[in-house]
Amino acid sequence: MIAGLNKELNMLEKAATEFSRKILFPEREANDTFPFGPFFDSTVEKAYSVDFFHTSIPEEAGGMGQGTPALSVILEALSAEDSSLAGILFTVSAAVDILAQTGNMDDLKALTAVKTPKDMFIACPVFCNPLDITDLPQAKKTADGLSLSGSLEYLTLGGLAKKALIPALVAGESGFSYVLADLEHPTVTRSAPILSLGLRACPSVDVTFNQSPCRLVGEERKGETYFTAMSDRMHVAAAAMSLGVMKGSFKEAFEYARKRKQGGREIIRWSELKMMLSNMAIHVKVADMLVAQACSAMESAAPDRAMAARAAALHVQSLATELTTDGVQAMGGVGYMKDFGQEKRFRDAKQLQALLGASPVKRLRYIDSL
Amino acid sequence: MISKREIKAFLAKHPAFDDISVSQQAVSKQPSAMLAETRKVVAYARKFNEEVVRPYALTLDMTMQENPAHLPWEFVKKANDWGLYTLWIPKLFGGKGFNFPSICAFLEEIGSECLAMANLIGVHYLGFAVGCSSWNVRLIKQLCADTLQGEQSGEPALISLALTEPGAGTDVEETELMDKGSVSCHAKKVDGGYIVNGTKVFISNGHLSRWHMLIAYADLGKPSSSTVMLAVETGTKGFSFGRMEKKMGQKGCPASELMFDNCFIPDENVLFDAEQGKKLKRGLSETNMQIIDFYFAASRAGVGAFGVGAARGAYREALNYAMTSELNGRPLIDHEWVQCLLAEMYKNMALGRFAYLEANYATGMHGMYKLLQQKQMYYLTKLTPKFVIDKTILPLLDKPWVTALMRKAYFDMQSEREIDITSGLASLAKFSGTDAGIRNCHLALELMGQSGLRHDRRAEKIMRDAKLLQIYEGTNQLNRLNLFKCLIASGTPDVKMFGRQ
Repeated sequence: MIAGLNKELNMLEKAATEFSRKILFPEREANDTFPFGPFFDSTVEKAYSVDFFHTSIPEEAGGMGQGTPALSVILEALSAEDSSLAGILFTVSAAVDILAQTGNMDDLKALTAVKTPKDMFIACPVFCNPLDITDLPQAKKTADGLSLSGSLEYLTLGGLAKKALIPALVAGESGFSYVLADLEHPTVTRSAPILSLGLRACPSVDVTFNQSPCRLVGEERKGETYFTAMSDRMHVAAAAMSLGVMKGSFKEAFEYARKRKQGGREIIRWSELKMMLSNMAIHVKVADMLVAQACSAMESAAPDRAMAARAAALHVQSLATELTTDGVQAMGGVGYMKDFGQEKRFRDAKQLQALLGASPVKRLRYIDSL
Repeated sequence: MISKREIKAFLAKHPAFDDISVSQQAVSKQPSAMLAETRKVVAYARKFNEEVVRPYALTLDMTMQENPAHLPWEFVKKANDWGLYTLWIPKLFGGKGFNFPSICAFLEEIGSECLAMANLIGVHYLGFAVGCSSWNVRLIKQLCADTLQGEQSGEPALISLALTEPGAGTDVEETELMDKGSVSCHAKKVDGGYIVNGTKVFISNGHLSRWHMLIAYADLGKPSSSTVMLAVETGTKGFSFGRMEKKMGQKGCPASELMFDNCFIPDENVLFDAEQGKKLKRGLSETNMQIIDFYFAASRAGVGAFGVGAARGAYREALNYAMTSELNGRPLIDHEWVQCLLAEMYKNMALGRFAYLEANYATGMHGMYKLLQQKQMYYLTKLTPKFVIDKTILPLLDKPWVTALMRKAYFDMQSEREIDITSGLASLAKFSGTDAGIRNCHLALELMGQSGLRHDRRAEKIMRDAKLLQIYEGTNQLNRLNLFKCLIASGTPDVKMFGRQ
């Protein structure tokens, strides 16, 4: 439904859906073997060649500057088959959003000037709210700039990117700041890719800095402001990813239920299963409307757009975990096996629920914001 | 106040008091020593968890992700060394003879650390239960003897159940559905045995088992009254293993494809067939449903215990996280919403446990466990020295009259009401426990945020493992229907089940 907001979004949806079906679907199982199998470089290159990575980069930095609704359209379509690529795009876009807020055009321009898609990766801890981390890395002021020390868990794309946007406490100050760190510097230690529940081809690592050089991004102690502004926009994109997963899960369960027979009749004719599928269909429709409404609020710069985005994300993410549980159930043992997409969607939906922070904490912050 | 006739009438009204007070009726009837025995089993499980399961659970899961073809013999041999495959083999058959309900407590313990490993142990007893449900005492004795020999030699001799087919999952669990469905594993009667053709899928422990309790059908058009139960040994000509499924979770426990190509099974390995069933009180279709109810009444309570194990594992990881994390400058566990969430998780696992305990009380009073839980028989088997059993009882078990006697006692003397209460409560335990498992996994992962997503923090593995519990041993939807059939529909005689018009 987001694509119905304008023609441009409609075209974008068609392109992303085609990419999803032709590029992501055939390799879904193989791509999900990371870190035991290879990283899906060729898929990322194809996504780069159709400018998915440029969608949210401002035009003045050489990007397409298309905003959150356009990004959401792409992420939703991709996530219907495989959320990992969408997770990468989400992570890069979150970092780009923060860099754009700080007016840091040089770093953004550098992103669009790269030669390989992986060079566009900026690692960023997108599965948390930095406010909830008790031991953020510390940045000390030195004669040469800032020096970063300490550890950070679950830095998404940290094993693949050259640079990372790190929330850190500048020594002696309260309130976190963002710094840009060079992950290839010898003082930086990165763990092996962490085996995660979902989005396995969008991997995270634990990272340790030992007096590593870094650069302040934006103003000191303004990290919370930047994160909040970014998440107010990116919650819509997160909701769109969960929506895509829901659509994929429902579609696969629905098609299977019309073919598979038990007790001499198609299982869709078992009314208990029909009820389950009906609930799934209703969840998809509700989620679709919610995300479209949140995008519309974003497009029209409605005063309550941030709250709309957060409410949509929390609700859709929760629906997605419920729906994908049923999505596996509707297909029985077959849904639990890796050669079908349902089990991956079940894992991905739960992983996506943690985007931008733990779900209950996000809910508590929602009421605090009213 | 109230007459005896009135008491009887009121207590018979739905829900019948006897249906909702099983544990109260059972406690005084069962041997009191069972509790001490169960305590010992739980302590042994916790020791095994500490020394074997917890240190190896993540490694095994990781190994299987890296190499899905790996067969976890290293764990099976360890479990064999610890005597876990004979712990619940009755003393009459030479085993250690722990009471059957205690296996659920054991499986909850192991399942709270690793459901795959719990399955690697538990499925052996599912196979054993299926063998027992035929009451073919001579063959049961042989299966037990092989398992015991496997323990002594260090070469585990496990038993699996080969039931599910590519086109028939739910269908093979209800005789009423079987005849409308599309079962395909055919057993053709020939001189001296059966020739089997067909494929079985999703067979837990298939590649690891020496014996397979194969359910096949002599007449594919009328499987409910032509079911053939066979004991098939690995290595039998015409029997081979196909692929191992790539599952989301419970990766350490293989789900195998078993293929039968003109596989000849001799008469001495026929656990039960129509010929043997002719001598029983019920018709063949009803007897086959009774057999299914016998083994599912035991195994569904076990899967309920797996679910409670998952609920408990998720609860444990969430509690650990809450005790070691902070939010807004305060320990996470000091927040009221976290305390309520943990209380909810505790409730989920406690209610799941109550459900499987109740189901086991029913099976002890009315089902498969009945004989060995009668006080006289229980203490007789406990107190009789092994050499006496070996000398006097074991040789008798080969006699056809013993099988006939057991079948009389179990098949003919079990009432419809007893079948319903054992089967219905087992289904209740199955879907209550496994739904509780998944519910707690969701709650744990939500509380833990990004920490819950990591393999090394265990919660995500518990979630992947737990989802299968809602599917196998009858989907939770089928189990709800079975509860309706057994505990509700009996009070509403005109009700139609399974889409019957």
